[in-house]
Amino acid sequence: MAEEEDEAGFDEDLDEGAGGTDGSHGKRKRLFSKELRCMMYGFGDDQNPYTESVDILEDLVIEFVTEMTHKAMSIGRQGRVQVEDIVFLIRKDPRKFARVKDLLTMNEELKRARKAFDEANYGS
Amino acid sequence: MADPARIKTDSNSDKLAAGKSPKTEDSEEAPVPDADAESKDPSSQSLKHEHKQDSVAGDDDDDDDEGTSGQPVSKKLKVEPEKKKEKRQKVDEDEIQKMQVLVSSFSEEQLNRYEMYRRSAFPKAAIKRLIQSITGSSVSQNVVIAMSGISKVFAGEIVEEALDVCEKWGDTPPLQPKHMREAVRRLKSREQIPNTKHKHILFN
Repeated sequence: MAEEEDEAGFDEDLDEGAGGTDGSHGKRKRLFSKELRCMMYGFGDDQNPYTESVDILEDLVIEFVTEMTHKAMSIGRQGRVQVEDIVFLIRKDPRKFARVKDLLTMNEELKRARKAFDEANYGS
Repeated sequence: MADPARIKTDSNSDKLAAGKSPKTEDSEEAPVPDADAESKDPSSQSLKHEHKQDSVAGDDDDDDDEGTSGQPVSKKLKVEPEKKKEKRQKVDEDEIQKMQVLVSSFSEEQLNRYEMYRRSAFPKAAIKRLIQSITGSSVSQNVVIAMSGISKVFAGEIVEEALDVCEKWGDTPPLQPKHMREAVRRLKSREQIPNTKHKHILFN
């Protein structure tokens, strides 16, 4: 369990750097461990990334999602998170902006394709 | 559905963020049974449109100067989108061909890594639960899709930066927490990491 204590210590340093402490980082159940490992390998890390690194990344991602959600709630329609708000918040970051546009366009396309497919089946 | 403009600016040939090749499946969306709905046109339209807008303005000027008579404007407007579409299609096809050539020349290890890069994604259920626990109300599916997508890009940016740090410090992968933390520090200084905890009071 020395690992966990160290990790909690590291995390607290990280949080204090960000201007706040959140002691639940060490105790929260890991949500994305498996997926993040695959992701890190895909992005260039070793095939078996260190657990501590994966944990740090998970905390960062959760913090990112939390921040984006809070920001999205405060603009546009208050108290709700809508796609337009997310797109607005991400407008300055070219990579993320293009990615969101791509994903949403692709989703629309897939929906249309599925609908056409279902209708074709229903017809015959 | 490739965006050549963005691919070119992305200097790292391994990491092509949104390049699509018909060979590889894309499991980022809801599971699709072999629907190769990777039609090149509509998917790239919204993006290409933004890039092509400048050239459209330019073309308009030229055509007006030539100005035959009568209905030149409407005719030109009909002809131009087709020309643009062809150009777009051609560029897209080139892009896809290049991707195919590249992927076909990958080693086994590179193929594995590329497959992980394309297939890995955050579980939609967990992201949805996370967002809903913060908002307290339900969110639409598109929001979950968008949020998972940008979270993956975010994770990628951190890992890339951490790998840069690792290389700079003369270490080797696997990445260690100190690399991650240095990467976060650098990204924060570039304001690529949102931080609303520290409020900067302007006039005090």
